[in-house]
Amino acid sequence: MKNVWTVAANTFREAVRDRVLYNLVFFALLMMGAAILVGQISIGIEDSVIVSLGLTAISVIGLFIAVFIGVGLVSKEMDKRTLYALLAKPVERWEFLLGKFFGLVMTLTVNTAAMAVGLYLALWTVKHTLERSDAWVLVAVYLILLKLVLIVALALLFSCFTTPFLAILFTAGIYVAGVFAGALRTMQAVDISARPMTLLKGISYLLPNFENFNVMGAVAHGRGVPGALVGQATLYAVCYGAVVLAGAAAIFSRRNLK
Amino acid sequence: MKRMLIKRVALGLVLVLGLAGVWQLQRKIDTQRERLHEERDELVLRSPKLIQRMSLEYAPLVGAMYWTRAVQYYGEKHRLHKENLEELWPLLDIATTLDPNLIAAYRFGSTFLSDAPPRGAGDPDHAVELLRRGLQANPDFWRLYQDMGNVYYFDKKDYPRAAKAFEEGSKNPQAPIWMKVMAAKIAADGESLETSYFLWREVFQTAQDPQIKKNAELHLRLVKVDLDLRQLNLLADEYERRTGRRATKMSELVQAGLLPRMPGDPDGYPYVLGEGGKAELNLNSPMLEEKLMNK
Repeated sequence: MKNVWTVAANTFREAVRDRVLYNLVFFALLMMGAAILVGQISIGIEDSVIVSLGLTAISVIGLFIAVFIGVGLVSKEMDKRTLYALLAKPVERWEFLLGKFFGLVMTLTVNTAAMAVGLYLALWTVKHTLERSDAWVLVAVYLILLKLVLIVALALLFSCFTTPFLAILFTAGIYVAGVFAGALRTMQAVDISARPMTLLKGISYLLPNFENFNVMGAVAHGRGVPGALVGQATLYAVCYGAVVLAGAAAIFSRRNLK
Repeated sequence: MKRMLIKRVALGLVLVLGLAGVWQLQRKIDTQRERLHEERDELVLRSPKLIQRMSLEYAPLVGAMYWTRAVQYYGEKHRLHKENLEELWPLLDIATTLDPNLIAAYRFGSTFLSDAPPRGAGDPDHAVELLRRGLQANPDFWRLYQDMGNVYYFDKKDYPRAAKAFEEGSKNPQAPIWMKVMAAKIAADGESLETSYFLWREVFQTAQDPQIKKNAELHLRLVKVDLDLRQLNLLADEYERRTGRRATKMSELVQAGLLPRMPGDPDGYPYVLGEGGKAELNLNSPMLEEKLMNK
């Protein structure tokens, strides 16, 4: 586990050195602009739009980081040939992979937490106060982070067996498909025969269902999120993440690195 | 060194002059385009479901964007005194499909839709549809019943349905008692000036948007004029009953002790007695134009 932690800490340091956290400036400017503008160009949605804009920005910025940096975690090390030096040491391939994964998850956690603080500041600027219902925003941020964790795992999996370009395409594709995973299951109204329908249903359960982590609509309107949902979504992310990472480790262990 | 300096100055000049040129040209192009009176509010995508799918997980934000677009569309048309608001319903349809909890879109959107031109789209049917959808998604928000009642009462003049809407809303434990009173009063009397005054006062007192507040205030002033004129006509009838002839000037009612002083409209212009001794607005009063426009 020490090896995993060492790789994770280095990955985090590298991300900070690569100015990944610079996106926070963009986020801060976006939130400040929105806080000033929205009240003047719309009616009755000042609070809700700050929340939905903030959560969308957290999600989209996080997605970009998760996909682009996640895909580069392994390939960059291979391109720079630093991976070979590292694997010559007593570090297992799966430990390297897990370390990379946790390093990026740490980066995303810091990034997401900083953006959540920015979102609360913008909310306070607009409302001049914070209410108890605003605490649900934190739950939404937490669920977005869980989604990002899954995306990092997927990006890592694809980067283990294909080129970075294709890995980005696959990850983005799975993300979009995952958003519609629930819709695949409710397609019964369409005239499709039983066998393809069963297949579609099966696929819908295989795909990561990213709708599980989406509570933006409810939170933007100050509505609560059931604790059971948060707990189940957490378990879902852990289970799915473990499966994907195990697959990635298996593929990476067998990969010919010559 | 000198050459370097010249290069830098030249670069700076190109940047400054270039940007100034772009700015000036854009202003000129904007003026030209305005002259074309282009209708630029066409919606490329009209299917709310398709837009919902395309929004991925971000439908609430896209919904807020469409609502903002609806507000801007309404405001722009209002500013240019244009009455064709046919894009308003599709914009509201998309906004509320993307975010079914967007209360502001139901409340203000129904007002924009139901108000008669030039203030609104004069489309109370879609306003009712919008509010119905709002109530389906937010059954606990009793204010939507109030809005539904107002649309039926003021715009569709369908008093049984207006009474029903207030009655339904009054069943919500959070709804104030006047919802029940309104339901009973409208069911019994249909349209009355007192009811109209109360309903507009409620809108005026609770509206947060300046445009809605201003609209409610205008209606309140107009209903106040109608209430005043009705009262003055009753006094003129009383004068006729006492003297056997119809008063021709308002001052005669004052002299007879029926009025303490010359009565005036909300803008302070004195009311007059017109043809047949009927109370009317002063011809110089700005309220006259407003009243004619809102007939």
